Amino acid sequence: MLAKVAAVSQFPGFSKWVFASEHVHNEAPAARAAAYTPLFFNALEFKTADQLSELIIPRDDAPGAHDAGVVEFIDFMVAHDVDLQYPFRTGLAWLNMFAAEKYGSDFLSLSTGQQQSLVRKLAYRAEQSPTEIQGQEFFATFRHYTVLGYYTSRAGLEALDYPGLRLYSTSPECPHKNDPEHTHLAAPKF
Amino acid sequence: MAKTVYDVIVIGTGAGGGMAIHALCEAGAKVCALNGSRRLDPRKDFRNHKQPFDMPFRGLGDPLKRKDYIGYMDNEYTEGIWEHDIVYTTAPGTVWTWRRCFAVGGKTNFWGRSSARFSDIDFKAATRDGYDVDWPIAYEEIAPYYSRVERMIGVASTVQNRPSNPDGEYLPPMNFRCIDRILESGSKKIGIPYLPDRIAQLTRSHNGHPGCHFCGNCTEGCDTGSFFSTPWFFLPAAEKSGNLEIRTNALAKNILTDENGHAAGVAYIDRDSMQEVEVYGRAVVVAASCVESARILLNSKSRYWPSGIANSSGQVGRNLCDHLYGTTARGYFPQLLGQPSFPDNVSASTVAWMPRWQNLEHPKQEKFIRGYSVYPDGGCSGFPYYADQLEGFGRDFKREIKRRYPAPVSFYIQAPTQRSDSNYVSIDPEVKDKYGIPAARISFAWDQNTLLMWEHGKQACEDLLRASGAEYLGAGQIDIPGTSLHETGTLRMGNDPKRFVTNRFGQTHDVPNLYICDASVFPNCTDKTTTLSILAFSLRTAEYLIQNRKA
Repeated sequence: MLAKVAAVSQFPGFSKWVFASEHVHNEAPAARAAAYTPLFFNALEFKTADQLSELIIPRDDAPGAHDAGVVEFIDFMVAHDVDLQYPFRTGLAWLNMFAAEKYGSDFLSLSTGQQQSLVRKLAYRAEQSPTEIQGQEFFATFRHYTVLGYYTSRAGLEALDYPGLRLYSTSPECPHKNDPEHTHLAAPKF
Repeated sequence: MAKTVYDVIVIGTGAGGGMAIHALCEAGAKVCALNGSRRLDPRKDFRNHKQPFDMPFRGLGDPLKRKDYIGYMDNEYTEGIWEHDIVYTTAPGTVWTWRRCFAVGGKTNFWGRSSARFSDIDFKAATRDGYDVDWPIAYEEIAPYYSRVERMIGVASTVQNRPSNPDGEYLPPMNFRCIDRILESGSKKIGIPYLPDRIAQLTRSHNGHPGCHFCGNCTEGCDTGSFFSTPWFFLPAAEKSGNLEIRTNALAKNILTDENGHAAGVAYIDRDSMQEVEVYGRAVVVAASCVESARILLNSKSRYWPSGIANSSGQVGRNLCDHLYGTTARGYFPQLLGQPSFPDNVSASTVAWMPRWQNLEHPKQEKFIRGYSVYPDGGCSGFPYYADQLEGFGRDFKREIKRRYPAPVSFYIQAPTQRSDSNYVSIDPEVKDKYGIPAARISFAWDQNTLLMWEHGKQACEDLLRASGAEYLGAGQIDIPGTSLHETGTLRMGNDPKRFVTNRFGQTHDVPNLYICDASVFPNCTDKTTTLSILAFSLRTAEYLIQNRKA
């Protein structure tokens, strides 16, 4: 019923779309990361930001922030937005300071478990401390840009099964004819 | 050298101007159309099929440019397609966003496409409730024009038999999605209508235009012409007639008059050369959209027209109305959590509507007079905007984003303002735009009646969410005035030349060869969108002009 339009190429302007959809899965993330030259972050900042983004949106059944190149997006946005440069630079420095204070080492050198326990203190209201507001604010901003970067990437939109990645030959119709209130749907998939 | 005199000069190529051009050229008139901006090729220049990851800034735009974007439709996909160079001012206390399309075809390139007919409940509203004036026409006079327009442009809907919404000639409706079925069952419990919208989106091919492919990016322009816009539907045919010359980057400055005070042509600024150019015609049609049309008339001062052409009534620019837009309620459907994605974003979300249900049996059932309509929105709509509201990080955070993806729901109200002496367009006494044309100044505030509709709408939408089994998350904000792009009323039509600018045909009372073909002639703005009615009234005005030429 929700047939994908077969002749996509008949429409002008779709060639890039077709090209992109054929290209998705087989790009090696590592190779691409190597090809990207950071515009704003220094090497340590770039690696730290990459790791922090992956902690926020880790790889599971779907690619994670690292696979999706989220750090490249963040670097690109920060490089083009002067209002973000101070918060991101000082925020990453604060994170290293926080790591040193708690574990005597910079953030990247910690185990994933240690990194997660630090981030928990910034991410959950129940664990937040009033002395760490600067870190909490940075984390909220960083998480916002991680979500933005991931869910505007092809990997992220595919993880959501974003329906706008396809075209439809007829106007899509609710398939649950006998359940108008949708109270008897199959068990949640996710 | 003898100067060229066209039969008609048309200012503007949007819904009103495009329709006038189409009808006039078909009737054999030689038309010169002025458009203040450039011409796009909709096949090539629209970016509606680019995905966020195809865009350098993921559709968000360069932060340096983003500060200048005007509203959500002005973005990286449509960069350069909205007007930024022509300044306007606001009176103290007024906030107004004035979005103008910087392309031939105007806002028809990106419009929301909802296309309901006005009704006698609208036209005779003053008789019903005693406020302001009736329209100078009855529904049965305009109904045949609505039918012709619907046949031309293709409108998808169903016959709904509602007193405020006369039925028309429709293509098959958009199908209801899961969120629509749920809300429809909730609406039945509380007695609010929930029906397929009237939407100018081609659910099948129509008059040689291909059917929609439901990509959902209509407000970034359509590169297949599967909804009505003048560059796809009217201008090519008009040009084929050999009767049309379109001058682009031609910013109308004022209307020229002859020794009798009649319209003799238009002076415009060529935005490329910054030179003033005159073009001559036997009649002039002004269709520059509500605020700009008023600005042109007010700036057309002469010995005959010291306060602006066709302004002996003093009503040019007065009676500005607008639709209040705002999110009346937000929530989510627990029953959809974790369910597979569904294509909900197939039309930039005007699949369904809740057409006016207030004050239908009696004009004063509610605390306010007249009524409003509501558009629902929701489901899988691209970027998960709700993520910022969730706590946490990691696998659980990612899973929760995915789980909620099909579930969001929200409502958008469309509530008309009523005419008021304090809502109007005038000319700023000091500010000129960079072309030397005195700027429009807007004075506007929401009225009490409209704000009562907003309060009523918030309650109704909360009730509907609860009746539909949704979790209610609260109401949103009222958008700033001008957001709807549905301004009306600066050159109102009416039978009395002392009180109205044009007669019932859109011909100005003062100047017999000056016609208005946009929503500025509407005496009030109703709860319905403007474009379909602009098209119908413009067609009627253009044919009246043709008749007058023959006479």
